[in-house]
Amino acid sequence: MPKRLIPLTVALAALALAALPAAAHAIPFAPEEGHSPNADDTTTVYWVMFVLAAVIVAAVNLALIAAVVRFRARRGREPARVRSGRGVQPRAAAALAVLALAIFVLGIVSTSAVRDVESSGPEGLQAASGRTAQLGLEPPAGDPEPLRILASGQQWVWRYEYPDGTFSYYELVVPVDTTVLLQLDSTDVVHRWWVPALGGKFDAVPGRSNETWFKAATEGTYDGQSTAFSGPGYAAMRARVRVVSVPEYETWLEQQSADIQSAQDAVQEQVGGEETGSGTEGAAAQ
Amino acid sequence: MSAPPSSSLAPARPEVVTERYPESRPAWVQLATSGDHKAVGVLYLGAALSFLALAVVELVLMRVQLIVPESTIISPEIFDRLLSTYGATAVVMFGIPAALGFISYVVPLQIGARGTAFPRLGALSFWLYLAGGVTLYASFLYRPPDAGTNPLPPLSDTVFSPAAGVDAWIAGVGLAVLGFVLFAVNMLATIHTRRAPGMVWRRLPLFSWSATASGYVLLVAGSVMVAACTMLLIDRQFAGVFFDAGEGGSPILWQHLSWLFFTGAYLVMLLAAFGTISEILPTFSGKPIFSHRAIAASLAAIGALGLLAWMQNMYTAPIPVGWTYLAMAAAVALTVPVGILLFNWVAILWGGALRLRAPLLFALGAISTISFGLAGELGYSVIPIGWQLDSTTAAQADTYYALVGAGVLGGFAALHYWFPKITGRTMGEGPARASFWMLIVGVHAMAIPMILAGLDGQPIDVYKYYDAGSLDTYNLIASIGSFVLAAGILVTLANAAYSARNGVAAGADPWGGATLEWFATSPPPPHNFDVIPDVRSAEPLPDIREAIRRRTETWDPPPPLERSPARSEPVESPDPPVA
Repeated sequence: MPKRLIPLTVALAALALAALPAAAHAIPFAPEEGHSPNADDTTTVYWVMFVLAAVIVAAVNLALIAAVVRFRARRGREPARVRSGRGVQPRAAAALAVLALAIFVLGIVSTSAVRDVESSGPEGLQAASGRTAQLGLEPPAGDPEPLRILASGQQWVWRYEYPDGTFSYYELVVPVDTTVLLQLDSTDVVHRWWVPALGGKFDAVPGRSNETWFKAATEGTYDGQSTAFSGPGYAAMRARVRVVSVPEYETWLEQQSADIQSAQDAVQEQVGGEETGSGTEGAAAQ
Repeated sequence: MSAPPSSSLAPARPEVVTERYPESRPAWVQLATSGDHKAVGVLYLGAALSFLALAVVELVLMRVQLIVPESTIISPEIFDRLLSTYGATAVVMFGIPAALGFISYVVPLQIGARGTAFPRLGALSFWLYLAGGVTLYASFLYRPPDAGTNPLPPLSDTVFSPAAGVDAWIAGVGLAVLGFVLFAVNMLATIHTRRAPGMVWRRLPLFSWSATASGYVLLVAGSVMVAACTMLLIDRQFAGVFFDAGEGGSPILWQHLSWLFFTGAYLVMLLAAFGTISEILPTFSGKPIFSHRAIAASLAAIGALGLLAWMQNMYTAPIPVGWTYLAMAAAVALTVPVGILLFNWVAILWGGALRLRAPLLFALGAISTISFGLAGELGYSVIPIGWQLDSTTAAQADTYYALVGAGVLGGFAALHYWFPKITGRTMGEGPARASFWMLIVGVHAMAIPMILAGLDGQPIDVYKYYDAGSLDTYNLIASIGSFVLAAGILVTLANAAYSARNGVAAGADPWGGATLEWFATSPPPPHNFDVIPDVRSAEPLPDIREAIRRRTETWDPPPPLERSPARSEPVESPDPPVA
């Protein structure tokens, strides 16, 4: 690189870096705002890698443009017939290896941070029974127990089962500030659980259990969608998490439980005590 | 063509050269039954570009459906069929075979061979591939596949996808990939055994290096896919339980096998583009290769490390987290060879005298576009980012960047570069420039809004999306971008079709290339070379030109009645030299 171009390049790069966050926010390159510690950790590492990727892209493309502008063939230009000197390539490779190692370490650290299940906060539900066996994630050692919910994917709706056996479809209702361990399962094909504001996505595969967790920081409703192709109704396979206060959650749970019971009784009456099978569940679906 | 006199040529001796021998069969029968690597290459390219046109049509139809939220132009059933066919078409019927077409045509010429090691195996590989493509598309006569771009069990089981088209997908892809594996066997045997005298591995031209790397990738990944397709077909048709969780099988197994293959397919397309770019840049900047050894090592490392990263597609699957660390390590380690490649490419351009003809233009566009894709890929290889953004349109946009950059821009760079060799004519520059700018504008206009939509939570493969935030704007722009991209592709396809008959006639070496394919005539005769030169470096043609220049400058006619001693004077031919 000619000497006089170096300060220019450095200045341009610094300028681009300074302008980057502003530009990235002007064009909404931010992921959906997180409402859970794991989503916040993901957002942090996302911005680190976004800036790195942007710098790489800018460097490569600026170099190409500079080469084309500066070194177009014209009368009298003799190409400099130079080859790589000894030691140039190993040095470049070493620098790149350091970068790769740094990214790998960042990856390990951030993965651990996202997988690190936090305990429920003071606002949250203080006790919940551990009904399902957990696989990969380690729940926090101290009290209180996290809320364990079984999310079961089926074409094309999610079914949630709460610790007391109550269930709901499509909408998951959880108390605020409470650690929710979500066990994912499927009754038919592969589905993928994802509510962007509450962290990353995980597969629900028949015959295999998968797990994720979140701890919603604020009340509200968060929407998401399955992202694993699952047949003609796939695009409609949405999920919603409604985060409510603890008393509201307890009221809702009782109400839902009573609704299911009355629906089942009604069906029982209608069919006159026949085998009802799984049809009762559909009656309680929202 | 008479052989240029050169010290690296065999001494002139009487030869009987028949330029053409009488054709006993019609030309198309000749082409279809030939084991000649050039005929096989032309067939591969013709079929691959035809499938590219089909893929473009399918992409446009899908993007039409996605212009507005909750659109009902195309029913979900039809959309799913387009989607399932599109994935297989773009990757298996266009991407890999386009790379193989150039490899088949160019590599034996580059290494100074008169043909491949197993000519009939090469022909068989093409016909298996075509049979696969016809099998896939014949399903449109009954019921096309609808189990997604990668038909994951249990969805691809007969319980959930009874359509016979899914069987056609499996059989078609299986046949085509079997063809690719046989192709790799033939090409690797050729590269290993048929190189010109003096062409040791460190002098193997870079495109042939990339072909070697992708040959080994195909051998591993392709064999795995042939096995996987057979297993899935057994599951569907003969009550097998390979992927049936309830019977002791595992749906995850298919994910491992198929993702290993799709990762390999991605690598074959990237490696072919990297090899092409590494040929074009030195030729059009008038400079030697900056470091042949570094580029060759990088290409080999990309093949090996890339394959190890197949589980990067399975971050969200129920597999132990340690395996995802392995995938991340391999994916992140790719930074080193890819970075070395980029560094060497810029170093080749820097200080050169760039002739900005179509091949260089497309090569630069390919580097630029691939840089977006691979920088993004680096981001997604960090596990939490993968968890957040995999299988959204953001990750898909990234794949588009890499594959449009490698397969389309890189493929078109190769097309413009070797078209004169294949047809004896150059492609039009004007349409090439128009096509180039349409592709660049199109790919960014399509991919950037897709990234934004993915960040807002739009999943891949959906036939509709709900109006939330700015999704409608993003999808509208992405659709317009895809139409521009499609138009750009069609311009080049039309340019190629027109120039094959009407292009400006090109000589043996229109670009001043550095490798042996430019030593043959355009198009080369069936036996490729009358005389195979000795190879003394990784760029043999400049050596030959230099030898010719030295001779023509210093050549004095020998004194009439005096015989020059054989060893004192290197000029052995008394013929007037041909410059």
